[in-house]
Amino acid sequence: MRKTFLLIATALAVSAVVVVTAGATSSATPGVTAKSILLEGTFPLSGPASGYAPIPAGMGAYFAYANAHGGVNGRKINWHYEDDGYNPANTVQLTHKFVEQDHAFALVGGLGTEPQTAVRQYLNDNKVPQLFVSTGATTFDRDFATYPWTLGWQPDYEAEGAIYGKYVVKNLSSAKLGVLYQNDDYGNDYLRGLKAGLGEAHQSMIVSAQPYDLSATTPPAVQVAKLKASGADTFVIFATPTPTIQSYVIATKLGWSPAHVITNSVSATDPFLTIAEKSGSNIVEGTISINYLLDPSNPIYNKQPGMKLYRAIMAKYDPKGNANDPLNLYGVAKAWTTVQVLKAAGANLTRAGLMKAARSMVYTKGKNNANPFALPGVAVFTKGNFQYPISQVTVIQYQNHVFKPLGGLINGRGALR
Amino acid sequence: MSRFAKPIGFALLFCAVVIAPFLVSNYHTYQLGFVGLYLVALVGLDILTGFTGQISLGHGAFMGIGAYTTTILVVDHGWRDLWTIPLAGVIAGAIGVAFGLPATRFSGPYLALATFAIPLSFIGLLKRYPHFTGGNVGKNLPQLHSELGWHVNPSIWFYVVCWVVALVMFPLAFLIVRGRFGRALRSVRDSEIAATANGISTAGVKTAAFGISAFYCGVAGSLYAIGITYVNPDTFPIDLSILLLVGIVLGGAGSLYGMIFGALFVEFIRISWGPSILNLFSKAHHIDTHAPGSGLVVYGVVLLLVLYVAPAGAAGLIRQLMTLVTRLRRKKDASLSDPSLV
Repeated sequence: MRKTFLLIATALAVSAVVVVTAGATSSATPGVTAKSILLEGTFPLSGPASGYAPIPAGMGAYFAYANAHGGVNGRKINWHYEDDGYNPANTVQLTHKFVEQDHAFALVGGLGTEPQTAVRQYLNDNKVPQLFVSTGATTFDRDFATYPWTLGWQPDYEAEGAIYGKYVVKNLSSAKLGVLYQNDDYGNDYLRGLKAGLGEAHQSMIVSAQPYDLSATTPPAVQVAKLKASGADTFVIFATPTPTIQSYVIATKLGWSPAHVITNSVSATDPFLTIAEKSGSNIVEGTISINYLLDPSNPIYNKQPGMKLYRAIMAKYDPKGNANDPLNLYGVAKAWTTVQVLKAAGANLTRAGLMKAARSMVYTKGKNNANPFALPGVAVFTKGNFQYPISQVTVIQYQNHVFKPLGGLINGRGALR
Repeated sequence: MSRFAKPIGFALLFCAVVIAPFLVSNYHTYQLGFVGLYLVALVGLDILTGFTGQISLGHGAFMGIGAYTTTILVVDHGWRDLWTIPLAGVIAGAIGVAFGLPATRFSGPYLALATFAIPLSFIGLLKRYPHFTGGNVGKNLPQLHSELGWHVNPSIWFYVVCWVVALVMFPLAFLIVRGRFGRALRSVRDSEIAATANGISTAGVKTAAFGISAFYCGVAGSLYAIGITYVNPDTFPIDLSILLLVGIVLGGAGSLYGMIFGALFVEFIRISWGPSILNLFSKAHHIDTHAPGSGLVVYGVVLLLVLYVAPAGAAGLIRQLMTLVTRLRRKKDASLSDPSLV
């Protein structure tokens, strides 16, 4: 008797447990009503990549600001994001939920190369925009013909590599480059870009390029030693944060003091470089990297109108957030672009219309509609076969715990086209 | 009465499985597909942990082995995904036996620690041989699509595949844990010394249980890859192994039907229930539901609550309730028949 009841209860639980939610919307375009637009995205709010959590919060702050200022063609933006813990399996399930259950109009800002790769085909099959993904993997921009519903936003890793190449040719013309790079798509994107930026004539400036495996259980000491032995005088680091910090320290311990250090922007942030310095590296000062947004941790930008607006938005709509964290500004700047594209897509909002607007963005200084949160002069531009929204950056140098810009903007994609 | 309990229970489960997709949305059907594959994994792990008493912190990796078997065969060798499911189980099972042969000489916490090495080395190996496994970048499988002449929504197709497999492997587990072999499993759990004294090869029984559980997890992993349509090392984090163990404990270790609750928990706590519970609180108490890691707090609190309220898992809780009902009824019967109380 008891057992039977147990079995019955168990069996019924399967069907009883699921809450049925009414999902259908009345309007023809999913996620759009006369008064609202539903945008959603997945971000790592827990797990090893949870440091990126300020990005969706910053986006939310800007969307709230935009809603308070009339919204988009009379519609308010509903911004909803969930935690995938940087596990693609969670990203896939949540994305199915966004599309099939919530009926989101578009997915915006989804974070991570692998999680976004996992859902790209699904979103393209369902013709749902996968807009402004938060990763610099070149494929999200380059492969627009295969994935017409997918678009990146930030400068891609290949373009960033090209900028270092151009910078070296112009400013360090006698340098001998020793490159440490991660042995996967990420590192190879950078290395390919660096070679393109140097151009055919200057490839020989790379005297040694040493790959390391992300899975390696030991720091890349052998690789750094080989770079030192190669006679390189400029240390180029295309690595994720932890190996980057390790190689800074290893170089010092090996007694290698390269004249210049170039570090990719993912790892070249004040917090990471401070760790490297505190761990005993003496080659941190003077590190060269790139940036394309206003830097809230650097006081020289405080007088920019964009920075003032950013601080006002953060103070009002995300007062608990750390306004000095560049990731918040990254989110705000991305949400700004999203709002512009939604406006450009017109009052009769459709997914195809949104993608059409995103494929021909012209937000430039010349047209007086540039992104206020980007460095002055940085364009957000796509047209025809050119689908790399942000490709201009400025070279920056780490001096006394602040990144100082060196000179004007460089277009990383100029060398690659 | 109890002679019919299992057939009746199974018939009810079967009916529930058939009816469910008609009651819920396609997305929830997709989620229930995952419940089916988690059921397979949990039932397998329950044979090892619940019936044989060996704790494993590494069975997420056997799901990973199954998933990669399917992925590599489908993507690189053009196999049809359905045909890879049994092979994924066999390969995971073989690796399980190979690992079990030396490891099951350990017992208790030592075995648990040894099994902890499986997901660690599995993730390391995936990254070490990127040409074979796809490395960090991972591999995309074909999108979900119905096959064998069916034309249904891909989510429903996935559900059907998962539950056909689950409804084969679930009763199979009942056959495994009954009879001579089942008694051997339980005797190893209850007292290894007594088992050895009765002529049972404890290492042999443990190795067999290890292989069976790895086979089940391999099959589940194969379905997982088909459902997620993507694999990379991040897809099989160490948490997955822990989550499977938690699923068993919450379902009620040693009860096969309890695993249905475990599977529901494993699937829904992270994606659906955790965020909804959090949202309830955020509305009432102004909690920042998007604070990093807040979802994990819910998970932890729910876990503690369940262990406090029902230490023997969901199956144990129902058993307790039934005992209570029976006792109350007896009391009622007794009071009616006792003339002094009328």
